Amino acid sequence: MARLLANEKIQPHWWSKTFAGSVLGLTLTYAIVSIFAWYGPGGIEATSKVQFNMWLITPIWLSIFSLTYLFKTGIKAIIYLSSANLFFYSIFLTLRWLS
Amino acid sequence: MKVRGDILRTYQSIHTWTGIIAGLVLFIGFYAGSLSMFEDELSYWATPSSYHLPQVPVEKLDTLIKKTSSIFEKAQQGFTINFNDQLSPLTWTEEGGGRGLKLNHIVNHATLSEQNELITQVNLTNELGDLIDTLHRTAGIVGKIGHEDLGVLILGVAAILYFLALVSGVIFLLPTLAKSFFALRENKGANRFWLDSHNLIGIISLPFHLIISMTVVVFAFHDAFYGGLSLAYGEKALFERPEESSIVYSVDQLPPIADYLEKIEKIADGYHIESMVFSGLTSSRPSLGITVINHQEMMRNYTGDLIFMNPYTYEVNFSSAKINEKDVYTPLVASFFSLHFGGYAGDFGRWIYFIMGLLGAFLFYSGNLIWLEKRRQKQNVQTKPNKFMASLTIGICLGSILAVVNTLLASKWLYLMGMQINNYYLTCYYLTFFVAIIYSFYRGAAKSAIHLLYTISLACLLIPLTSLLLNIVPDLALWEPRALTSFTVEFIALIFAGFFYFGALKTKYRAYHGERNSIWALPMIKVPETISCKNVVIE
Repeated sequence: MARLLANEKIQPHWWSKTFAGSVLGLTLTYAIVSIFAWYGPGGIEATSKVQFNMWLITPIWLSIFSLTYLFKTGIKAIIYLSSANLFFYSIFLTLRWLS
Repeated sequence: MKVRGDILRTYQSIHTWTGIIAGLVLFIGFYAGSLSMFEDELSYWATPSSYHLPQVPVEKLDTLIKKTSSIFEKAQQGFTINFNDQLSPLTWTEEGGGRGLKLNHIVNHATLSEQNELITQVNLTNELGDLIDTLHRTAGIVGKIGHEDLGVLILGVAAILYFLALVSGVIFLLPTLAKSFFALRENKGANRFWLDSHNLIGIISLPFHLIISMTVVVFAFHDAFYGGLSLAYGEKALFERPEESSIVYSVDQLPPIADYLEKIEKIADGYHIESMVFSGLTSSRPSLGITVINHQEMMRNYTGDLIFMNPYTYEVNFSSAKINEKDVYTPLVASFFSLHFGGYAGDFGRWIYFIMGLLGAFLFYSGNLIWLEKRRQKQNVQTKPNKFMASLTIGICLGSILAVVNTLLASKWLYLMGMQINNYYLTCYYLTFFVAIIYSFYRGAAKSAIHLLYTISLACLLIPLTSLLLNIVPDLALWEPRALTSFTVEFIALIFAGFFYFGALKTKYRAYHGERNSIWALPMIKVPETISCKNVVIE
């Protein structure tokens, strides 16, 4: 493995990455869970599904959160996660508007 | 496996800091959680035998209910039927319902004599098991924010950090995982041994830890999560409230107990009923909560599954046991609870969870110890923050263990002295805990670690000795002599007495013969000749 230059290495950027992982990670999780809630197996009405949806939040959110530190810089983490938010929320809202 | 150096360094920092911040509260949460696997048994162990009235045959339960409710007005509104042989057949409370920990909780017990005469008595409940459960959920942190316990929320945040610590720990262990997974290098110094055991336990119990961390986050923040989810649900309600019935029944209209048994057998085959809690019987929202047990199934909790129904119409409002073939989500949700509470694999599963919880506590304790040693290797002198962290680790970890052991030890003596038991439990816990912390700051980590370990060992030893004494001296026999198999609490205490004694010896050895500038080293007062000779030979 070739030695990485200083600017190729992952930067710490603790505060901005922690913000991206905790806040943007959580909103992204809600977008994914919302799609599952309405269009996953059983639809919105299935018994106990609301509890299951709530349980889904933590594993998805924390997985995103813990891997956010792999982004090279804090800014990149914010940009990529914001775009993912935009993508999943537009899917969710489009589906809701169509049905 | 090769991982880039910068990724390793990033995740090593995350592991260190999340571990240091969250480790101490999680330590308490874990070992108290281990004990809470047996909270009912502990309460039962502590309660004098005379506090429970003898059971009655199932056929007589209807008579018992009728007689009790005709005399006691509060029992017309609600009561509990226990099928467990060790508990009174019928109990109710004059204070009205409400959940949560109550230190002055008075419970009325009722049973029937051979001649069908009503026998009742009133007792202060023993909250030992509930207190251990509260310690488990809050790490002993008191206070409330709204209706949530502050300690629960703090443990929720700690659990998020704990998840990050798990992921980062695995990532930065990856390069050396295959090579040194089962390596426990004893000959490379105490610290290497701590590190190897930390890694080994962390990896083998990783699934357990991932489950615990995620479930704790849910338990702490489910209200907030539902709040966010309600936005996605839009105008749809998250939960439908059960319809209020327009008919108000009275306790005389209750169906016989046999009908409920038949009904449960029909909807939940293979389960047996442990207890039935009737409440709101004279209101427009009557409820019956039935605890059912089937050790062949994955239950929500090791104490059983819950089925809620209308006691007059048998209409089921909620069931954590699978009672409907088409329903996929109820058993899934129940399984999340089950994985946290160890509600599967029966008693074997509970013992495994007991051991896993203790190993988890070890993980946090050893993590802090490793951090302290690493800092020393970098700096070669013990800085103030290092000493502070060492004293805090010893004071909190060993202090809270000693506090619980002391509480268990005091329990039987408090009954003999006729004390208001539950309040003294709390005093005993917090007094020991804070004295231990003050002591560890006053004497320094190295010395107080040795002394506290000896004290814990002694306190553990006194628990079986107390039981032995109470069994021998008839005047003190508040507890009926029991069969040998029911001495589990005493037996476990004895094992721990040995374990902590061994720990004290090891710590003492390290203090005098380990690396000199370690935080665990103590100045040698005099050097015995045999040891100085040995040192010369080695050098």
